[in-house]
Amino acid sequence: MGRRFGPYGGAYVPETLVPALVELEQAWREARRDPAFRREHARLARTLGGRPTPLYHAARLSRRAGGAQIWLKREDLLHGGAHKFNNALGQALLAVRMGKPRLIAETGAGQHGVATAMLGAALGLRTEVYMGEVDVARQRPNVERMRLLGAKVVPVTSGHRTLKDAINAALRDWIANVRTTHYLLGSAVGPHPYPSIVAELQSVIGREIRRDAEREFGRPPDLAVACVGGGSNAIGTFRPLLGLPTELLGVEAGGPRGARYGAATLGRGRPGILHGAYSYVLEDREGQVAETASISAGLDYAGVGPEHAFLRDSGRVRYVAVHDDGALAAFRWLAEDEGILPALEPAHAIYAAVREARRRPARERVVVTLSGRGDKDLEVVRGATRARA
Amino acid sequence: MERLEPALSRARAAGEGIVLPYLMVDRARSGRLAPTVTALADAGATALELGFPFSDPIADGPVLEAAADRALAHGTRWVDLLGAARQASRILPTAVMTYANPVWARGLGRATRELRAAGASGLIVPDLSLEEAAPWRRACHDAGIAHVLLAAPAASAARVARIARRSSGFLYLVSRFGTTGTRDPSPAQALGPLVRAAHAARDLPVLVGFGVHDRESARTALASGADGVVVGTALQVELDRGATPRAVGRWLAPIVAAARSVTGRAGERSSPRQDGNSVRASSRAGRTRT
Repeated sequence: MGRRFGPYGGAYVPETLVPALVELEQAWREARRDPAFRREHARLARTLGGRPTPLYHAARLSRRAGGAQIWLKREDLLHGGAHKFNNALGQALLAVRMGKPRLIAETGAGQHGVATAMLGAALGLRTEVYMGEVDVARQRPNVERMRLLGAKVVPVTSGHRTLKDAINAALRDWIANVRTTHYLLGSAVGPHPYPSIVAELQSVIGREIRRDAEREFGRPPDLAVACVGGGSNAIGTFRPLLGLPTELLGVEAGGPRGARYGAATLGRGRPGILHGAYSYVLEDREGQVAETASISAGLDYAGVGPEHAFLRDSGRVRYVAVHDDGALAAFRWLAEDEGILPALEPAHAIYAAVREARRRPARERVVVTLSGRGDKDLEVVRGATRARA
Repeated sequence: MERLEPALSRARAAGEGIVLPYLMVDRARSGRLAPTVTALADAGATALELGFPFSDPIADGPVLEAAADRALAHGTRWVDLLGAARQASRILPTAVMTYANPVWARGLGRATRELRAAGASGLIVPDLSLEEAAPWRRACHDAGIAHVLLAAPAASAARVARIARRSSGFLYLVSRFGTTGTRDPSPAQALGPLVRAAHAARDLPVLVGFGVHDRESARTALASGADGVVVGTALQVELDRGATPRAVGRWLAPIVAAARSVTGRAGERSSPRQDGNSVRASSRAGRTRT
């Protein structure tokens, strides 16, 4: 497992965390080769998680686009309603293997917090979830779900009170309790080995896309699209397709129109060091991390996974930004055309996919990872629609 | 304008416990910096750790995090750090502590040269593990300032030794699991083996930080055989209460007294080898100054 993706990645952490990262890397290396671990992981992914997830032809949405055919990778159907289950399951099993009785996690939209709380309950691990105060207010249903699942939700009141600050708080907790606690990091960010572990656990998305595309179209997709906050569902989608001719498109949150940064880290950031990794960062000229803005709590983050930084620079993946209003439009399209309420995070990807499909001939196949369902966002969407009316 | 390495080596050779207070640069308090540093020097501080705020200080507890947030809200910028270093280093040898990203954003070479030109003689980066430290060590070396590495309580003796061999100025031993501002350092039995491992690997002062906040906790930290202490959060608490420079000096004095009394045993440790190295360290620093 390499520490770097090109120049990006590494482990910029206080020394206190180094032994835990070494332990984690070693445990992961052993576990992924251990047939018993793999069997248990596969069994729970199927019977608790509901894998595999289907690839759905969004025929009416494709008609709206009037070009290429759009297919949805239905990670919203996974247990808990988002792709986050894939990573939480793998890491929670690792925590058990390492003998750590306590899980901590950060969460933005609450989807990773819910996934961690579910696995904590299912595997008998004590769970605490850090969540920015702003996100606690805008993603209430997920806060309630986490509490019902037995997790303690800790509102974070420092900094900008969003995902970035939740990660800070989780890292501080880990520094203090590293001997008894596994930090179940939810995205492909953070110090080595997290970006590699999370990418590998999420790669099931891309592998299933590849297999199902072969069955449905007889060839790989022409284009694969996924939203990028930290970038876990996107790296999971892209990794197994990197060696194929498939075009890859990552979609960041542009935030409100006219916003200075939005949350488009790869578009408007520059290389820097945040949360343990060297990657792109939204920051001011002096390296102070910027305040981000996005309607979707899950994309509202000033950092991004180091593998995405590498894929951006190499040109293998193209990254674009979609504004809040685009995500809201896509939310309604998918609801009205397909009867699916998407989470606001993948709604960004849906919008970009429709825009792309419109420019492409009908024979082309565009696969979008629908990384989560939108029940958590009803209030936000209603509020935004009211404000506009 | 004495520099960090010779100042600490001399204090150590003399058997004086080293006391390193931490002050965060805050543009709104720039007028009070020099009087405060003078008061700390008069109270017996050996050198100064000057903190530059970062937006995401993951190694800091609530007190220093709030201080950093305030300093940034006051518009504190890199030039303010350089100005503060210029003032402080006239009074006490000064090492700068900040997180990796502000230094990286400035450019390693440029940042370290600017710090050197402003009179700072050391750089401490709490979110830099040994594995990532090499380019930073080179930049500090090229600029002629010490690169102080941190070691943590979970480390094996072998890792502490490796860190000690790559650190310069001193080795910053984090006294316990947790962020800055945790109460009380780990007991001497826990820290002792790490201090011994560091001393065995390299003749370098070992300073204990995180949790040292009064006379008793300084004694506990020094009972491990360490050469001195860093006092950060507790001093910030005094400043937050509105302590005058003179009050800050009075507050530090008992910690200095505790350090002096405990390290009376330093004489036992000063083997010929250690003295030789101290002299070399001083002359090396002396050369870079010219």
